Amino acid sequence: MAELEAKSMTDTQLRNLRRQRTKEMRLQLTGFSFMIFLTFMAFGMVALDFNATFIMGIVMLFAFIQVVLQFYYFMHMKDKGHEFAKLFMVVGMFFAIAFCVTFIYIVWIGQPI
Amino acid sequence: MAEMKYNVPNEQWPEHPETATLEGKNKFVGFWTFLGGETVLFASLFATYLALKDSVPSSDHMLAADLFHLELAFVMTMLLLTSSLTSVYAVYHMRNNNFSKMQLWLAITVLLGAGFLALEIYEFYEYVHLGHTFRSSAFGSAFYILIGTHGFHVIIGLIWITGLIIRNATRGLSVYTAAKVNTAALYWHFIDVVWVFIFTIVYLLGVI
Repeated sequence: MAELEAKSMTDTQLRNLRRQRTKEMRLQLTGFSFMIFLTFMAFGMVALDFNATFIMGIVMLFAFIQVVLQFYYFMHMKDKGHEFAKLFMVVGMFFAIAFCVTFIYIVWIGQPI
Repeated sequence: MAEMKYNVPNEQWPEHPETATLEGKNKFVGFWTFLGGETVLFASLFATYLALKDSVPSSDHMLAADLFHLELAFVMTMLLLTSSLTSVYAVYHMRNNNFSKMQLWLAITVLLGAGFLALEIYEFYEYVHLGHTFRSSAFGSAFYILIGTHGFHVIIGLIWITGLIIRNATRGLSVYTAAKVNTAALYWHFIDVVWVFIFTIVYLLGVI
Protein backbone atom coordinates (compact mmCIF):
# COMPACT_ATOMS: atom_id res chain seq x y z
CA MET A 1 0.00 0.00 0.00
CA ALA A 2 0.90 3.63 -0.16
CA GLU A 3 3.51 5.07 2.09
CA LEU A 4 4.95 8.55 2.27
CA GLU A 5 8.57 9.46 2.33
CA ALA A 6 9.45 10.83 5.75
CA LYS A 7 11.43 13.86 4.56
CA SER A 8 9.46 17.05 4.23
CA MET A 9 10.08 20.13 2.14
CA THR A 10 11.17 23.54 3.37
CA ASP A 11 9.04 26.57 2.61
CA THR A 12 11.40 27.78 -0.12
CA GLN A 13 11.43 24.39 -1.81
CA LEU A 14 7.67 24.28 -1.73
CA ARG A 15 7.36 27.77 -3.14
CA ASN A 16 9.79 26.96 -5.96
CA LEU A 17 7.92 23.78 -6.77
CA ARG A 18 4.61 25.65 -6.92
CA ARG A 19 6.11 28.31 -9.16
CA GLN A 20 7.48 25.61 -11.44
CA ARG A 21 4.04 23.99 -11.64
CA THR A 22 2.33 27.28 -12.44
CA LYS A 23 4.83 27.81 -15.24
CA GLU A 24 4.13 24.30 -16.47
CA MET A 25 0.39 24.96 -16.39
CA ARG A 26 0.90 28.09 -18.49
CA LEU A 27 2.76 25.93 -21.01
CA GLN A 28 -0.19 23.51 -21.02
CA LEU A 29 -2.55 26.40 -21.75
CA THR A 30 -0.35 27.50 -24.66
CA GLY A 31 -0.44 23.96 -26.00
CA PHE A 32 -4.22 23.92 -25.64
CA SER A 33 -4.65 27.19 -27.55
CA PHE A 34 -2.45 25.80 -30.29
CA MET A 35 -4.62 22.66 -30.47
CA ILE A 36 -7.76 24.81 -30.71
CA PHE A 37 -6.09 26.85 -33.45
CA LEU A 38 -5.21 23.69 -35.42
CA THR A 39 -8.78 22.41 -35.05
CA PHE A 40 -10.18 25.71 -36.34
CA MET A 41 -7.76 25.66 -39.28
CA ALA A 42 -8.61 22.05 -40.15
CA PHE A 43 -12.38 22.60 -40.07
CA GLY A 44 -12.03 25.96 -41.80
CA MET A 45 -10.03 24.55 -44.69
CA VAL A 46 -12.54 21.77 -45.27
CA ALA A 47 -15.46 24.21 -45.06
CA LEU A 48 -13.78 26.54 -47.58
CA ASP A 49 -13.43 23.69 -50.11
CA PHE A 50 -9.77 23.83 -51.02
CA ASN A 51 -8.13 21.27 -53.30
CA ALA A 52 -8.93 17.79 -51.90
CA THR A 53 -5.44 16.23 -52.02
CA PHE A 54 -3.93 19.36 -50.46
CA ILE A 55 -6.48 19.32 -47.63
CA MET A 56 -5.94 15.60 -47.02
CA GLY A 57 -2.21 16.09 -46.44
CA ILE A 58 -2.50 19.23 -44.33
CA VAL A 59 -5.37 17.95 -42.18
CA MET A 60 -3.52 14.70 -41.41
CA LEU A 61 -0.42 16.73 -40.52
CA PHE A 62 -2.51 18.89 -38.15
CA ALA A 63 -3.92 15.74 -36.52
CA PHE A 64 -0.42 14.39 -35.91
CA ILE A 65 0.79 17.69 -34.42
CA GLN A 66 -2.27 17.78 -32.15
CA VAL A 67 -1.70 14.22 -30.98
CA VAL A 68 1.98 14.88 -30.29
CA LEU A 69 1.02 17.95 -28.22
CA GLN A 70 -1.58 15.88 -26.38
CA PHE A 71 0.95 13.15 -25.57
CA TYR A 72 3.90 15.38 -24.71
CA TYR A 73 2.10 18.08 -22.77
CA PHE A 74 -1.29 16.87 -21.53
CA MET A 75 -0.07 13.34 -20.84
CA HIS A 76 3.32 14.62 -19.57
CA MET A 77 5.35 12.45 -21.91
CA LYS A 78 8.05 15.14 -22.08
CA ASP A 79 8.78 14.63 -18.37
CA LYS A 80 11.38 12.22 -17.05
CA GLY A 81 10.54 8.55 -16.57
CA HIS A 82 8.39 8.11 -19.66
CA GLU A 83 10.69 5.75 -21.58
CA PHE A 84 8.32 2.81 -21.36
CA ALA A 85 5.35 4.99 -22.23
CA LYS A 86 7.14 6.12 -25.38
CA LEU A 87 8.13 2.56 -26.29
CA PHE A 88 4.54 1.32 -25.97
CA MET A 89 3.12 4.21 -27.95
CA VAL A 90 5.70 3.89 -30.72
CA VAL A 91 4.93 0.17 -31.06
CA GLY A 92 1.20 0.96 -31.06
CA MET A 93 1.68 3.64 -33.72
CA PHE A 94 3.76 1.25 -35.83
CA PHE A 95 0.88 -1.22 -35.96
CA ALA A 96 -1.63 1.60 -36.49
CA ILE A 97 0.17 2.92 -39.55
CA ALA A 98 0.85 -0.62 -40.86
CA PHE A 99 -2.84 -1.58 -40.60
CA CYS A 100 -4.12 1.57 -42.27
CA VAL A 101 -1.57 1.57 -45.10
CA THR A 102 -2.16 -2.13 -45.80
CA PHE A 103 -5.94 -1.83 -45.89
CA ILE A 104 -5.95 1.30 -48.02
CA TYR A 105 -3.49 -0.24 -50.45
CA ILE A 106 -5.31 -3.58 -50.76
CA VAL A 107 -8.77 -2.06 -51.17
CA TRP A 108 -8.26 1.24 -52.97
CA ILE A 109 -4.89 1.38 -54.72
CA GLY A 110 -3.42 -2.02 -55.63
CA GLN A 111 -4.51 -4.20 -58.54
CA PRO A 112 -6.89 -7.05 -57.68
CA ILE A 113 -4.97 -10.26 -57.10
CA MET B 1 4.50 -0.87 5.89
CA ALA B 2 3.73 2.71 6.68
CA GLU B 3 0.18 3.78 7.13
CA MET B 4 -1.54 5.49 4.24
CA LYS B 5 -2.23 9.08 5.19
CA TYR B 6 -4.95 11.29 3.83
CA ASN B 7 -4.83 15.08 3.67
CA VAL B 8 -1.15 15.41 4.57
CA PRO B 9 0.37 18.89 4.99
CA ASN B 10 1.76 20.50 1.84
CA GLU B 11 5.42 20.17 2.81
CA GLN B 12 5.03 16.39 3.14
CA TRP B 13 3.21 16.00 -0.16
CA PRO B 14 5.67 14.42 -2.63
CA GLU B 15 6.70 16.16 -5.85
CA HIS B 16 5.10 13.42 -7.97
CA PRO B 17 2.36 12.01 -5.73
CA GLU B 18 1.01 9.76 -8.48
CA THR B 19 4.24 7.75 -8.69
CA ALA B 20 5.41 8.18 -5.09
CA THR B 21 4.53 4.58 -4.19
CA LEU B 22 5.35 1.26 -5.80
CA GLU B 23 1.67 0.79 -6.53
CA GLY B 24 1.56 4.17 -8.25
CA LYS B 25 4.62 3.34 -10.34
CA ASN B 26 3.13 -0.01 -11.37
CA LYS B 27 -0.16 1.62 -12.27
CA PHE B 28 1.66 4.15 -14.40
CA VAL B 29 3.68 1.63 -16.45
CA GLY B 30 0.80 -0.83 -16.61
CA PHE B 31 -1.59 1.78 -17.87
CA TRP B 32 0.73 2.92 -20.62
CA THR B 33 1.01 -0.72 -21.70
CA PHE B 34 -2.76 -0.83 -21.87
CA LEU B 35 -2.84 2.38 -23.92
CA GLY B 36 -0.39 0.81 -26.39
CA GLY B 37 -2.87 -2.06 -26.79
CA GLU B 38 -5.74 0.39 -27.17
CA THR B 39 -3.86 2.10 -29.98
CA VAL B 40 -3.72 -1.18 -31.88
CA LEU B 41 -7.42 -1.85 -31.19
CA PHE B 42 -8.44 1.52 -32.62
CA ALA B 43 -5.96 1.15 -35.49
CA SER B 44 -7.69 -2.03 -36.64
CA LEU B 45 -11.07 -0.30 -36.49
CA PHE B 46 -9.74 2.71 -38.41
CA ALA B 47 -8.24 0.42 -41.06
CA THR B 48 -11.58 -1.41 -41.38
CA TYR B 49 -13.42 1.89 -41.72
CA LEU B 50 -11.00 3.17 -44.36
CA ALA B 51 -11.38 -0.05 -46.33
CA LEU B 52 -15.18 -0.10 -46.16
CA LYS B 53 -15.89 3.63 -46.41
CA ASP B 54 -18.83 4.33 -48.75
CA SER B 55 -19.28 0.60 -49.48
CA VAL B 56 -23.05 0.51 -49.83
CA PRO B 57 -25.20 -2.10 -51.61
CA SER B 58 -27.22 0.30 -53.76
CA SER B 59 -27.36 3.95 -54.76
CA ASP B 60 -30.28 4.79 -52.46
CA HIS B 61 -27.97 4.50 -49.43
CA MET B 62 -26.38 7.66 -48.08
CA LEU B 63 -22.62 8.12 -48.34
CA ALA B 64 -20.23 9.84 -45.92
CA ALA B 65 -20.42 13.17 -47.75
CA ASP B 66 -24.25 13.21 -47.55
CA LEU B 67 -24.40 12.18 -43.90
CA PHE B 68 -21.83 14.12 -41.92
CA HIS B 69 -22.40 17.62 -40.59
CA LEU B 70 -19.23 19.55 -39.85
CA GLU B 71 -20.94 21.84 -37.32
CA LEU B 72 -21.86 18.97 -35.02
CA ALA B 73 -18.43 17.35 -35.31
CA PHE B 74 -16.84 20.73 -34.55
CA VAL B 75 -18.87 21.26 -31.37
CA MET B 76 -18.14 17.69 -30.24
CA THR B 77 -14.42 18.23 -30.86
CA MET B 78 -14.42 21.44 -28.84
CA LEU B 79 -16.24 19.77 -25.93
CA LEU B 80 -13.83 16.84 -25.79
CA LEU B 81 -10.72 18.97 -26.29
CA THR B 82 -11.78 21.32 -23.49
CA SER B 83 -12.56 18.38 -21.20
CA SER B 84 -9.02 17.18 -21.84
CA LEU B 85 -7.69 20.54 -20.62
CA THR B 86 -9.92 20.49 -17.52
CA SER B 87 -8.52 17.09 -16.55
CA VAL B 88 -5.02 18.60 -16.87
CA TYR B 89 -6.21 21.20 -14.34
CA ALA B 90 -7.42 18.40 -12.06
CA VAL B 91 -3.98 16.74 -12.17
CA TYR B 92 -2.34 20.14 -11.58
CA HIS B 93 -4.36 20.67 -8.40
CA MET B 94 -3.79 17.06 -7.36
CA ARG B 95 -0.02 17.69 -7.54
CA ASN B 96 -0.50 20.87 -5.52
CA ASN B 97 -2.36 18.92 -2.84
CA ASN B 98 -5.54 20.94 -3.42
CA PHE B 99 -8.31 18.39 -3.03
CA SER B 100 -11.43 20.55 -3.46
CA LYS B 101 -10.19 22.18 -6.66
CA MET B 102 -9.20 18.79 -8.04
CA GLN B 103 -12.72 17.50 -7.42
CA LEU B 104 -14.20 20.61 -9.04
CA TRP B 105 -12.14 20.22 -12.23
CA LEU B 106 -12.91 16.50 -12.38
CA ALA B 107 -16.62 17.36 -12.14
CA ILE B 108 -16.28 19.89 -14.99
CA THR B 109 -14.51 17.21 -17.04
CA VAL B 110 -17.42 14.83 -16.46
CA LEU B 111 -19.96 17.50 -17.47
CA LEU B 112 -18.13 18.27 -20.73
CA GLY B 113 -17.75 14.56 -21.45
CA ALA B 114 -21.47 14.03 -20.83
CA GLY B 115 -22.23 16.85 -23.27
CA PHE B 116 -20.10 15.14 -25.88
CA LEU B 117 -21.86 11.82 -25.29
CA ALA B 118 -25.29 13.44 -25.57
CA LEU B 119 -24.37 14.94 -28.95
CA GLU B 120 -23.04 11.59 -30.14
CA ILE B 121 -26.27 9.83 -29.17
CA TYR B 122 -28.23 12.57 -30.99
CA GLU B 123 -26.01 12.06 -34.04
CA PHE B 124 -26.54 8.29 -34.10
CA TYR B 125 -30.28 8.81 -33.68
CA GLU B 126 -30.32 11.15 -36.68
CA TYR B 127 -28.36 8.73 -38.87
CA VAL B 128 -30.59 5.78 -38.00
CA HIS B 129 -33.51 8.01 -38.91
CA LEU B 130 -31.93 8.61 -42.32
CA GLY B 131 -31.56 4.87 -42.94
CA HIS B 132 -27.85 4.66 -42.08
CA THR B 133 -27.82 1.83 -39.53
CA PHE B 134 -25.41 -0.79 -38.26
CA ARG B 135 -26.94 -3.38 -40.59
CA SER B 136 -27.76 -1.24 -43.64
CA SER B 137 -24.30 -1.47 -45.26
CA ALA B 138 -20.66 -2.44 -44.71
CA PHE B 139 -19.99 1.30 -44.45
CA GLY B 140 -22.58 1.54 -41.66
CA SER B 141 -21.10 -1.39 -39.75
CA ALA B 142 -17.56 -0.02 -39.96
CA PHE B 143 -18.74 3.48 -39.00
CA TYR B 144 -20.77 2.45 -35.96
CA ILE B 145 -18.19 0.01 -34.65
CA LEU B 146 -15.45 2.67 -34.84
CA ILE B 147 -17.40 5.62 -33.43
CA GLY B 148 -19.32 3.33 -31.09
CA THR B 149 -16.16 1.86 -29.57
CA HIS B 150 -14.92 5.39 -28.97
CA GLY B 151 -18.30 6.35 -27.45
CA PHE B 152 -18.13 3.26 -25.24
CA HIS B 153 -14.73 4.44 -24.01
CA VAL B 154 -16.27 7.82 -23.20
CA ILE B 155 -18.99 6.08 -21.17
CA ILE B 156 -16.39 4.04 -19.27
CA GLY B 157 -14.33 7.19 -18.65
CA LEU B 158 -17.36 9.07 -17.34
CA ILE B 159 -18.30 6.22 -14.96
CA TRP B 160 -14.67 5.94 -13.85
CA ILE B 161 -14.16 9.64 -13.08
CA THR B 162 -17.61 9.99 -11.47
CA GLY B 163 -16.77 6.96 -9.32
CA LEU B 164 -13.49 8.56 -8.24
CA ILE B 165 -15.21 11.83 -7.35
CA ILE B 166 -17.81 10.05 -5.21
CA ARG B 167 -15.45 7.55 -3.62
CA ASN B 168 -12.88 10.19 -2.68
CA ALA B 169 -15.39 12.83 -1.59
CA THR B 170 -15.21 11.87 2.07
CA ARG B 171 -11.66 10.55 2.32
CA GLY B 172 -9.67 13.24 0.52
CA LEU B 173 -6.30 13.07 -1.16
CA SER B 174 -3.47 10.62 -0.50
CA VAL B 175 -0.69 9.17 -2.63
CA TYR B 176 -3.06 6.22 -3.12
CA THR B 177 -5.93 8.28 -4.54
CA ALA B 178 -3.52 10.54 -6.47
CA ALA B 179 -2.35 7.56 -8.54
CA LYS B 180 -5.99 6.68 -9.31
CA VAL B 181 -6.83 10.20 -10.44
CA ASN B 182 -3.71 10.38 -12.60
CA THR B 183 -4.57 7.08 -14.31
CA ALA B 184 -8.13 8.23 -15.03
CA ALA B 185 -6.77 11.49 -16.47
CA LEU B 186 -4.41 9.58 -18.77
CA TYR B 187 -7.35 7.50 -20.00
CA TRP B 188 -9.38 10.61 -20.65
CA HIS B 189 -6.55 12.20 -22.66
CA PHE B 190 -6.25 9.04 -24.70
CA ILE B 191 -9.96 9.22 -25.55
CA ASP B 192 -9.30 12.71 -26.87
CA VAL B 193 -6.30 11.49 -28.90
CA VAL B 194 -8.51 8.90 -30.60
CA TRP B 195 -11.16 11.54 -31.25
CA VAL B 196 -8.60 13.78 -32.99
CA PHE B 197 -8.10 11.00 -35.54
CA ILE B 198 -11.82 10.30 -35.78
CA PHE B 199 -12.77 13.90 -36.53
CA THR B 200 -9.92 14.14 -39.05
CA ILE B 201 -10.23 10.82 -40.86
CA VAL B 202 -13.95 10.14 -40.56
CA TYR B 203 -15.56 13.60 -40.57
CA LEU B 204 -13.16 16.02 -42.27
CA LEU B 205 -11.86 13.62 -44.92
CA GLY B 206 -15.37 12.16 -45.19
CA VAL B 207 -16.97 15.35 -46.51
CA ILE B 208 -14.29 16.45 -48.99
